[in-house]
Amino acid sequence: MGNEPAHTVTRYDQELDRLRGLVARMGGLVERQTARAIAAVVDQDEDAALEPPELDTEVDALEREAESLAIRILALRAPMAVDLRVIIAVLKITGDFERIGDYASSIARRALKVEPLDGALSFGALRNMARLVQENLHSAIEAMVNNDSECAMQVWNSDTAIDELYTAMFRELVTYMMEDPRKISPCIHLLFVAKNLERIGDHATNIAERVYYAVTGEMLPALRPRGGAAKKSG
Amino acid sequence: MNEKTMQVTPSVDAETDASAASLSDRPIAIQVNDLDFYYGKSQALHGINMVFPERSVTGMIGPSGCGKSTLLRVLNRMYDLYPGQRATGEVIFSGQNILGSGLDLNALRSRVGMVFQKPTPFPMSIYDNIAFGIRLHERVSRSEMDGRVEDALRRVALWPEVKDRLQASATALSGGQQQRLCIARTIAVRPEVILLDEPTSALDPVSTARIEELLDELKTEFTIAIVTHNMQQAARCADQVAFFYLGELVEVDSTARMFTAPRESRTQDYITGRFG
Repeated sequence: MGNEPAHTVTRYDQELDRLRGLVARMGGLVERQTARAIAAVVDQDEDAALEPPELDTEVDALEREAESLAIRILALRAPMAVDLRVIIAVLKITGDFERIGDYASSIARRALKVEPLDGALSFGALRNMARLVQENLHSAIEAMVNNDSECAMQVWNSDTAIDELYTAMFRELVTYMMEDPRKISPCIHLLFVAKNLERIGDHATNIAERVYYAVTGEMLPALRPRGGAAKKSG
Repeated sequence: MNEKTMQVTPSVDAETDASAASLSDRPIAIQVNDLDFYYGKSQALHGINMVFPERSVTGMIGPSGCGKSTLLRVLNRMYDLYPGQRATGEVIFSGQNILGSGLDLNALRSRVGMVFQKPTPFPMSIYDNIAFGIRLHERVSRSEMDGRVEDALRRVALWPEVKDRLQASATALSGGQQQRLCIARTIAVRPEVILLDEPTSALDPVSTARIEELLDELKTEFTIAIVTHNMQQAARCADQVAFFYLGELVEVDSTARMFTAPRESRTQDYITGRFG
């Protein structure tokens, strides 16, 4: 967000650059949190499970720093047009990142309770879903850093696949639980992990929406494509 | 990409939409067609086309020398007072091209009033400052004049401050009071359009806020055009904003649109403070 010529007031540019730097760092951190949380589950990696909650402190601190800087710029510079849109987007995106960090930490804390189930239930479906979520999160952050509205639009359009994978996993896990009540506990943990991943995907979509608005000045429709409805209107 | 952009709501938000729509539905007070303006040989305005919707505030912004004040001076033919200045094109007001010859300029200026950057009270009493303009255009009785003066002063919220000293000299008033007096003088002759050329640039923030509050009330009755260097002021007061640069009208749109998502990069660079 910010391919425009320089401001007459150099300090203004410096402040905006600092703000962009803060959110970019937040983005890098939550990407790492998400990756480590997923590794903790699918590889049953104990070290990986420790990392997301640790990084969360830093993510929260960055959110507060970015927020107070954004408020100061709003108060002191009275930003207009693209500057205003970027600052509003930053305020909302930092909120999305903070939530993603929480979900990743939550997944990590649960990771070692999700023992791989013998037989049919493997982490295959979860791996697929995790890959899509990570791709979307990564693209959303790329779109943000590069002011790429087309990339943002692609992220926005591709959340449907994640939702569909989640629904499929939900059905599968319910079936297992009905078949064998002893599987209820691990299945519930796995279901929460999948739900948290799905929520991370939603926040990636939110980020894409904010980036799209910041770059173009246009708002994406309130309803994003979902399952069958999207196919009909698309 | 075309198909994708189709899905996008083509506006800032519903309220912006509504205000833009109500603006375009409004009758047109002044329509400017292909206006060129020259100071001697130098051309100050190039092919200006825009409308001033009735009973709304049009803000005109742009860097110094961009032509915004020149356009304002065309709208009541103020430029006629100076030799060597001429305008071509059309400015349609009440179905008449006011650039045409044979126009009664005094009548025009009573219908299109103007307030300047520096308060310009006449060196006479507060009462006579208001009465002066009315006497130029109408014959009214003493009691009716008292009523007209009081009404004008009340509408600019100056009455409580001056009602006990109407015969005192207007030049003794504070800058903000003087400017409100000038606006009172302008509306006392019951114009249809009020032109304001940076009316608050010499005033403190409190006086400025009072004038802006006043504009909000006056626009229910008058068509207002305001030239301002203060972007925030245009954002606060105007219903539509026009951005001028080097004698051209770059963009005109609803205020919310102009300040959140202008279409032209030159507009964006100017309002975000990126002009080198």
